[in-house]
Amino acid sequence: MKPKRWGMIVDQRRCIGCHSCTVACKSENNVPLGYWRSWVKGLQKGDFPKVGNMFLRRLCNQCDSPPCVQVCPVQATVRRPEDGVVVMYYGKCIGCGMCIAACPYDARFFNPIRKTADKCDFCASRIENGLEPACVEACVSKALIFGDVDDPKSEIFNILAAVPTSVIKPELGTKPKVFYIQADHSLKGRIQFSEDFKEAIIDYRKSIPSPDATYWETRDQK
Amino acid sequence: MEASVLYNVPHDIPWKVFIPLYFYFTGLSAGSFILSTLSTVFGIKRFKPMALPAAIISFLLLLLAPACLIVDLQQPTRFWHTLVPEYFNPTSALSYGSWLLTLYPIANLVYIYFIYVKNDRVTKIIGTITVPLAIFVHAYTGFAFALVRARAWWHSALMPGFFLTSALLSGIALLVIVAMIMDRLRSEKLELDLYKSLRIMMIGILLTDLFWTGSFWLTLLVSNSDGHASILLALHENFYLWGEIFAGMLVPLAILVYPGTGNNKIWLSFASVLIICGVFLMRYSVVFIGFDIPLS
Repeated sequence: MKPKRWGMIVDQRRCIGCHSCTVACKSENNVPLGYWRSWVKGLQKGDFPKVGNMFLRRLCNQCDSPPCVQVCPVQATVRRPEDGVVVMYYGKCIGCGMCIAACPYDARFFNPIRKTADKCDFCASRIENGLEPACVEACVSKALIFGDVDDPKSEIFNILAAVPTSVIKPELGTKPKVFYIQADHSLKGRIQFSEDFKEAIIDYRKSIPSPDATYWETRDQK
Repeated sequence: MEASVLYNVPHDIPWKVFIPLYFYFTGLSAGSFILSTLSTVFGIKRFKPMALPAAIISFLLLLLAPACLIVDLQQPTRFWHTLVPEYFNPTSALSYGSWLLTLYPIANLVYIYFIYVKNDRVTKIIGTITVPLAIFVHAYTGFAFALVRARAWWHSALMPGFFLTSALLSGIALLVIVAMIMDRLRSEKLELDLYKSLRIMMIGILLTDLFWTGSFWLTLLVSNSDGHASILLALHENFYLWGEIFAGMLVPLAILVYPGTGNNKIWLSFASVLIICGVFLMRYSVVFIGFDIPLS
């Protein structure tokens, strides 16, 4: 049988920011209080009266070339060849924290009860039994679409072929399998600075060119 | 257009101060070991009196270093998982590191034994085998960072070289202090030439470290947004700019270069203490400035 490659589409046009996916994830995976496997990032853009509220669903991107698997010293986290999901083996994990430091999406954390690293695994126990992940099932506006990205008959394949999608931080070559429809550039895991540094940063920007560095341009500059 | 995050989930920094301490101890150990082999392997007779104390210091620090690593684990009792051949991950620097950290102290102990029984021929053979181990045991820590592509502050090919030179630097500085103490305690005095060569080595390596630092600054300033941001944030950190660069590199360099202070033993030991602290700050800043930029 051909190996599957599970993936997810997050349709930003449909997301209403209700956090159902966050709640469903926490209750399905028994995530301790104060920790999240997946969450919704909220962001506000623009000036009154033209203001936009935006949401970005964050979860493990299930990379095809995962930096966390690369650095694990004990192979406690692997990309399963049969379905492309990056899973944790909690019994092996020594809790060194290298994978947490290496994840470009900050999707990993120390589970304080299990005392190991933890992460979203597309609800591995559910998809093994033919169910969809808990967040997909809980989504009220069908903003989350889950399926085999290699199967031409699946819904996700059709959408990926017909609709422009983007991934977070493609420049790192991690080949994520979580695709976003109409995700704003300012939403996608970019850096936010505290006010203290803005002056200095803008001063440097004037003298030294830096590609892709536009996110700290303030309204004073316009 | 200004965008502000209304809410987001950042995750905690997974490491505590034990991690930079670990890098610091392995660095000191590798540095003093290489210094110890200068006479036994490379045949520079001037360093002969330093061979045994340097090797013993190097071994003692090697007991501290893995202890720091294990204390920082969330599951300390599972540290032996790193040494199970089945679990070995060929792409992980930490996998190689844990094997090196096991082999190197053993080789080091054998080496100390043969210096102690004054068997110069065997010492040379064992030392020759152990020198690459000492280099790798510290260079791997540089690779552990250099191979993390998510964080611009770490993802640099200069990292292993920088780690090695500052390891040597801290090793030499520690040995200057030890030499001073030996001079006080022993009846036969050490040659002044020894201090002179240690001083010249320190100047050379300090200049190399400054060169690395300058290369980091320049490449990061014209790097992508994350790299650019990390150097700007780093320059706002007092412990980086004033601690590591000014007090840990520039001040000792000035003391060592100026003949009036460089040849004075009190100034020399003062510079060594500054260097030892500066190298710790270098480890600290490498680890924790890397976490300054949120990735979520």
